[in-house]
Amino acid sequence: MIVEIAWKNVWRNKARSLIVIAAVTIGVFAGVFTMAAINSSVVQRIDAAVNEELSHIQVNNKGFRSSGDIQNTLRDFAWVKALLEITPGVKEVTGRILIKGIASTSAKSAGVEITGIDLERERQIFTLSEKLIPGTGTYFESETNFNTAFIGEKLAKELNIIRYIITDGALAKLKEEGIPSEVISRLETLRGQRFVSDKKFSDSFEDLLTTSEKKKYSMKIKEAAWSFREGSKIILTFLDVNNMQTGAAFRISGIYRTNNDMFEAMSVFVPVGELRSLTGMSEGTFHRVIARLDENDITDKVTPGIRKVLSGYEVLNWKEIQPDLAMMADMMQQIYGIFMTIILAALAFGIVNTMLMAVLERTRELGMLQAIGMNRRRIFIMIMLESIFLSIVGGIMGMAVGGAVIAATARNGINLVKYSEGMEAFGYTAHLFPTIDAGFFLMTTILIVITGILSSVYPARKALKLNPVEAIRGE
Amino acid sequence: MNNYQLAWRNLWRNRRRTLITAASVFFAVFFALVMRSFQLGAYERMFRNVIESYTGYLQLQGSDYFDEAILDNGFEIDTVFLEKLATDRNVKTIVPRLESFALAAAGTSTQGVIVMGIDPEKENRVTDMRNRLVRYRLTPKAVEALKNEKIPSLSGDLLDIFINESYTGTGRLMIDLDIDEKDTSAILPVIRRHASFRNEYLSAADTSSLLLGSGLSDFLNAGVGDTIVLMGQGYHGSTAAGKYMIKGIVRLPAPDIDNRIVYLPFSTAQALYGAPDMATSAVILLHSNDDHEVIETAGRLQEMISGPLKVHTWKELNALLVNQLEADNKSGMIMIAILYLVIAFGVFGTVLMMMAERRKEFGMLVSIGMKKGKLAGVVSLEMLFVGLLGVVSGIIASLPVVIYGNVHPIRFTGEMGKMYTDYGFEPVMPTMLPDTYYLWQTVVVLIILSVAIAFSIRKIFSINVISAMRS
Repeated sequence: MIVEIAWKNVWRNKARSLIVIAAVTIGVFAGVFTMAAINSSVVQRIDAAVNEELSHIQVNNKGFRSSGDIQNTLRDFAWVKALLEITPGVKEVTGRILIKGIASTSAKSAGVEITGIDLERERQIFTLSEKLIPGTGTYFESETNFNTAFIGEKLAKELNIIRYIITDGALAKLKEEGIPSEVISRLETLRGQRFVSDKKFSDSFEDLLTTSEKKKYSMKIKEAAWSFREGSKIILTFLDVNNMQTGAAFRISGIYRTNNDMFEAMSVFVPVGELRSLTGMSEGTFHRVIARLDENDITDKVTPGIRKVLSGYEVLNWKEIQPDLAMMADMMQQIYGIFMTIILAALAFGIVNTMLMAVLERTRELGMLQAIGMNRRRIFIMIMLESIFLSIVGGIMGMAVGGAVIAATARNGINLVKYSEGMEAFGYTAHLFPTIDAGFFLMTTILIVITGILSSVYPARKALKLNPVEAIRGE
Repeated sequence: MNNYQLAWRNLWRNRRRTLITAASVFFAVFFALVMRSFQLGAYERMFRNVIESYTGYLQLQGSDYFDEAILDNGFEIDTVFLEKLATDRNVKTIVPRLESFALAAAGTSTQGVIVMGIDPEKENRVTDMRNRLVRYRLTPKAVEALKNEKIPSLSGDLLDIFINESYTGTGRLMIDLDIDEKDTSAILPVIRRHASFRNEYLSAADTSSLLLGSGLSDFLNAGVGDTIVLMGQGYHGSTAAGKYMIKGIVRLPAPDIDNRIVYLPFSTAQALYGAPDMATSAVILLHSNDDHEVIETAGRLQEMISGPLKVHTWKELNALLVNQLEADNKSGMIMIAILYLVIAFGVFGTVLMMMAERRKEFGMLVSIGMKKGKLAGVVSLEMLFVGLLGVVSGIIASLPVVIYGNVHPIRFTGEMGKMYTDYGFEPVMPTMLPDTYYLWQTVVVLIILSVAIAFSIRKIFSINVISAMRS
């Protein structure tokens, strides 16, 4: 009964209620959607970290992580590997050799981490082989007598292995993409010229195109002109087991692309056998064992058991290797709570004002209700319900709109191209696919109800302070 | 009675509503100011750290060096020309550097590092390098010894938190260990005795010694007196290799650089890379580092240059950081925009209520001869007063927080601190003292108010006296 009366009371002054409801709708929508966007970048970052960079669990000798000493190989690789393989929850295990070195071409050099890998097993654990940029070769599949390396796009750019050339093919491709032939004809003056960096290439058509044309087409032009000569080589230099400088030429087998510039610039993969023979490491030695689990959720559960059996080794899961990521994931809930609380607190002012108005203009009516025997508790509840209705109707609409917009944008994602450089330097993608857990909606609903209750306290108390007799006499 | 008085009195007829509305504006303004202040303060600090310890405000580089930072794109030092550039009114001095990459090995540890050839005395004027030498270090041994001294005001827990931390002066050390000013003089000698760190600055004549970033020193597990082998690619593809002794350890505020940097005397670096008389860049030290001045100076200097040299501002030199912080800045602005949007709705709702409630009163006033224009003026003033009450109180309330935060910045420790360091930022968040961002909050509130005022003026002019009085 009271519920019904409260609901009807809300709609007695439609315009006023609708404004408050609209404010709540917009506030909740904005909060939910913004959080979904931020959340997606964290979710996508963790996916990439686990699937491309770290996997779930890593085992190496104690002290290896800080010194990177080449001689600090796993004491008993076969045993560690066998033990991990029989651990429930572990899906696949592989060994790696890790060596710091310099990658160079005739033009430039850069510091890298050279990882010697077991080609087939890595493919079971990491998705990196799928990140191969089409047209840059293969994941160690081509027959060659050379040493081979799989490197990141960022490193390839730094070493000038990737360049930009406007070839006839590139012009044809641009035509296919639907770029006006008038624009293409202006680009033809650049035909055949080589540009070693993104910046130099951009500069080259700086004056040829108008600002709006550049905005529209420059990504496509760069993509079309992006070129890589198959069979390019890099020199890898490093120290061997005797601390003597050594190195060799490696043919680029393929180039991979991720959203993490730092990883792309640092990580060079080569078959483990090639690296072993160059460094003089003995057969069957590894620096690190990497295990992939059946699913990510069991990471925390499985780690302590493994750590106990392998107590002589350093056993770390991805959350411990990159605590910032684990913390980000844990913090999302808190950030969301704070963010939503601030928005709702701002909304509360509007609700309080409206409810106060609603109470004061009904002084006479409330006095009457009391006079005919409605007790104070019921009046209090009635006012509180009105306030909750105002917030919950707006909240549900806000969540509905938020959910719909999230679903709509999740299909193609939101591409913040302008910030991709900065975000990818940290390993975060700028192409967001908004996503949010169902738990967020539940939490929002609870927060909204609390907001409704809290913002009704002051107006409801005002209503109770009315003296029935005076209230009826008044006005 | 004039309009102002009327408006002011009207406001206090419904005190509660006035206060709640002003409070909502206050809430938004206060919150926005504090949040912006921390955000902008953190950016400023990050920029200052990297500019003052590394890039400088202006750099002269070989024209291809910016796109391709390799030795081969360096330039030959022309002293006469550099002196000519230094005659510009905003230029203090020009300090050449030779910067390249190498693999550093100490014992069995290896790490890729930035090698920077510097003129020790001149560089000191740019990056204050001498004062960045580590003076105190809380080694496990020092912490143990300090705990054994059993000084009541020296917390063992704090010592454990900051174990292995390096300090370039006592100021930060005292803050980290939470030691009051009055206790400082008593505790300092004890700390000096146990945690002092001996090292020396470079001199231009050193041919076989170097300085190391404190992070790199941890990583290579190498301290003062240890030997470091550097090897890399020299000028025009020659091989560069050399053996050096660590003479000192510096602590740079930007962890990204602190973890990777090695300083050699300028001529020693030239010898290592086989690049005599060459520099890769020259930091231009300015009298005024004001944004506008920096850009103007860059323009003037560029005009004086005829060869293949280019002047770059700190914004160009740190393009990546600019991009990152811009993305972060946008996210902060979205948050504040949402906040103001919500507040705007609240204000608008209140105005709507007020207009409905006072319809009868307005009708009455107009019928007894008050001009609609004057009435609109009074109502507009009322709203302006409420808004400004919120803005002014918000500004006043924010000042203590902002000023305190500037003097005592938030320092992140533990996981959070590590996260900042991993991303290459100092784990410190100071506030920015009042600046144009204070003005912006006022402007935003005024925009919200003007919409509300426009609405009520329209309402007043369309008032129908008869029906209004009947309502």
